[in-house]
Amino acid sequence: MPDNKDLTATVAIEQMPIVTDYYVPLSQHIGKPAQPVVNVGDRVIEGQLIAEASAFVSANIHSPVCGEVAEIVKRKNAQGVAVDCIHIKSNGEQDKFTLPPLTDPTPEQIVERVREAGIVGMGGAGFPTAVKLQPQDPVDTLIINAAECEPYLNCDNRLMIERTEQFLAGVRLIAKAINVSNIYIGIEDNKPEAYAALLAQDGVIPDTKEALQSRKEGDIVVVLLKKKYPQGAEKTIIKACVGREVPIGGLPAAVGCIVDNVGTAYAVWDAVVNGTTLHKRLMTVSGRGIRNPKNIEVAIGTPLSQIVELCGGLTDDAVKLVSGGPMMGYSLINLDVATTKTDSGLLALTDKEASTVLPTPCINCGRCASVCPMRLMPMYIDFYTTVGDTENAVKYGALNCFECGTCAYVCPAKRPIVQSVRLTKIKAKEKK
Amino acid sequence: MANYVYSSSPHIKSPRTTRRIMIDVCIALLPACIAGCILMGTANAAYPTLGLLAFTHLAICCITSVAAEWIYLLCCKKPFKQIIAEFDFTSLVTGMLIGMNLYPTSKWYVGIFASIFAVIVVKMLFGGTGKNIVNPAIAGRIFAFIAFGAAFGGAMGYATPAGEIKQFSSPISHGSVTAGATPLQVLLGGATEATSTLTNLDLFLGTGVAGCIGETCKLALIAGGIYLVVRGVLNFRWPLVYILSTGLVSVLIAWIDGCYNANGKFVSALLGTKFVDAWEVFLPSILSGGLMLGAIFMATDYVTTPNTKLGNYIYFAFLGILTAVLRKAIKGEAVSFAILLGNILVPLFDMYIRRKPFGYVKPERKRVKKAAQEATAAKEGE
Repeated sequence: MPDNKDLTATVAIEQMPIVTDYYVPLSQHIGKPAQPVVNVGDRVIEGQLIAEASAFVSANIHSPVCGEVAEIVKRKNAQGVAVDCIHIKSNGEQDKFTLPPLTDPTPEQIVERVREAGIVGMGGAGFPTAVKLQPQDPVDTLIINAAECEPYLNCDNRLMIERTEQFLAGVRLIAKAINVSNIYIGIEDNKPEAYAALLAQDGVIPDTKEALQSRKEGDIVVVLLKKKYPQGAEKTIIKACVGREVPIGGLPAAVGCIVDNVGTAYAVWDAVVNGTTLHKRLMTVSGRGIRNPKNIEVAIGTPLSQIVELCGGLTDDAVKLVSGGPMMGYSLINLDVATTKTDSGLLALTDKEASTVLPTPCINCGRCASVCPMRLMPMYIDFYTTVGDTENAVKYGALNCFECGTCAYVCPAKRPIVQSVRLTKIKAKEKK
Repeated sequence: MANYVYSSSPHIKSPRTTRRIMIDVCIALLPACIAGCILMGTANAAYPTLGLLAFTHLAICCITSVAAEWIYLLCCKKPFKQIIAEFDFTSLVTGMLIGMNLYPTSKWYVGIFASIFAVIVVKMLFGGTGKNIVNPAIAGRIFAFIAFGAAFGGAMGYATPAGEIKQFSSPISHGSVTAGATPLQVLLGGATEATSTLTNLDLFLGTGVAGCIGETCKLALIAGGIYLVVRGVLNFRWPLVYILSTGLVSVLIAWIDGCYNANGKFVSALLGTKFVDAWEVFLPSILSGGLMLGAIFMATDYVTTPNTKLGNYIYFAFLGILTAVLRKAIKGEAVSFAILLGNILVPLFDMYIRRKPFGYVKPERKRVKKAAQEATAAKEGE
């Protein structure tokens, strides 16, 4: 699979200038939508709490900019679902709200800060990190997912290169919060620059026999992984780093692991050391349909159309817009969508890059099964879904699929396998 | 505002399509087709037109197969433009394979009927590409073999119900070059002569070997196979497992055979009367007949092979055993029947051999669970 990382691999992170309108969705994470704590007409400053977590599994949301709450409206998100958004009109002031910085925090303080700052898993799923840092099962290992296996994306890569120390400090803070000293960073071998940058730091060792022998307590082991999508899937990276297999239906904590993303580690550092609430994130804007592909730090709630404008706009042959990576991201109808905490990428693909070939009958070649990281047999799931037999589709493991899309990528018949899996999941849910 | 393509992920897909795969198979079959025509044309000076006949057979089969598919789809009221746009070359592969499975001396109409049977009955009536239960080309060959008999031809002849081997008379088997029996025939006891004039190298290159158009030159077949492996279309393991298992089982059969004397009396397990050099059995059995063609191109058809790795290992080893045993039992036409039988069993392989999904935890057996429960109960009782 061509990774197309070269479009932005060497492009330094750029700051997104302030725009006039921000639409901050109240549901950017797994769990309940946040509850607004501001009213229309209120003046807010950057970083200020504007909506608070409404349940244990939920997250706080903070203002991306200084301005005024114009309205609370329903807008479509990248998935095409209408969600409540707080519309903030910026007023150009420069003021920033921060929480009091913590020096030498206790594990409880870190978890509390992560919760306050509204940090969620920034790799894509958006699971509230504070919940993750209070596992039900005993854990002994922290794995930082730096694989960034999705093609095109480079935001984690650039973050590790440009903010190495902060990132590693964040990793250590997470380890402290869950009280483990066994720390791994899994990175794909197509990021040599980031790999070298990490190893140049103190207390970071490579995954070699000699280095492991002289490993000291708290040393971070950087595991160089083969470039192979979906290497960065939670279960696959655990298997690749420590060789443990998460049981079907289980969480990583079941095998004593916690997996966090690079962006999350950085956000934890920023929240603990600087008291910054999560209202900005890194995003790779790429694809051959974008005039100037870039890695930018963008305030959450920024309309995607503004981001594209900053990157020189779309080329004439762009046929597909994708929020997130090309394998698991969502295709967009238009750019009238706001940035969320989980948006790691925005892609504009040309006809050559985006596959628009129509599906043909399955020829039973077995490629989907041979690439499936969950070792399922996607051809049967697709077949049974197509004929409407949900029961058998579930039997072949449709519910264990995490929709990485590798099967649909390799399929010579271009079967919409992932779509079948999703349909089966919905149908199975309805049945229950 | 432009209309953007809107679909479910993934948004990028590999450039490999079914059509591309089938075109690759066609390319891989070409060397064997060309070699077949040349070898047939030069095999016997008395019959220089054999090469041309071979070419005609190939052309007839290809045209008939593709035409049969298109006419079928037209009858299904599919617009012709759409048929052309969706044409995936599978019927061309079927046509080429059927042509390669004919003898140059077969009657001209055999290929037409075999192709129509293969494409219409075996493929299209079962639902088209990917839905057929047996490989269309194999079914076409067996159809020709059973339905046309002498008109189909064949160097090996066929076994009558009485067990007698009947030799079809064809110019090539009367020609000076190939007067001798093939080593395999000698091995199986089906030949009139006691020794063969053909060497293993002859078998490998196809020089002077009587047989089907496409199966004579093993070198060309292997070259085509390597092309497919390099293109990522074919997994080299499967033909290898098939060919090796055929060879090994043949050696085993010859060894058992050697343990008995001419009167069928058991002599010795080690030093039988006809104890043969294993290599002398192994090479002819893997280089003879349609094994290479069948193993590389016909048995490995995606549609009619199991879906699991383990299933495929067992399946291809099974095909090898079946081929060796059938060769011994019916003295010919073994490969195609072995593959046909194997094809029919594929659903069983897929039903009983499943993959263990990632993170699969073996459920505790009821008996073990019960015992554990009783043990804890006993402990609590104390």
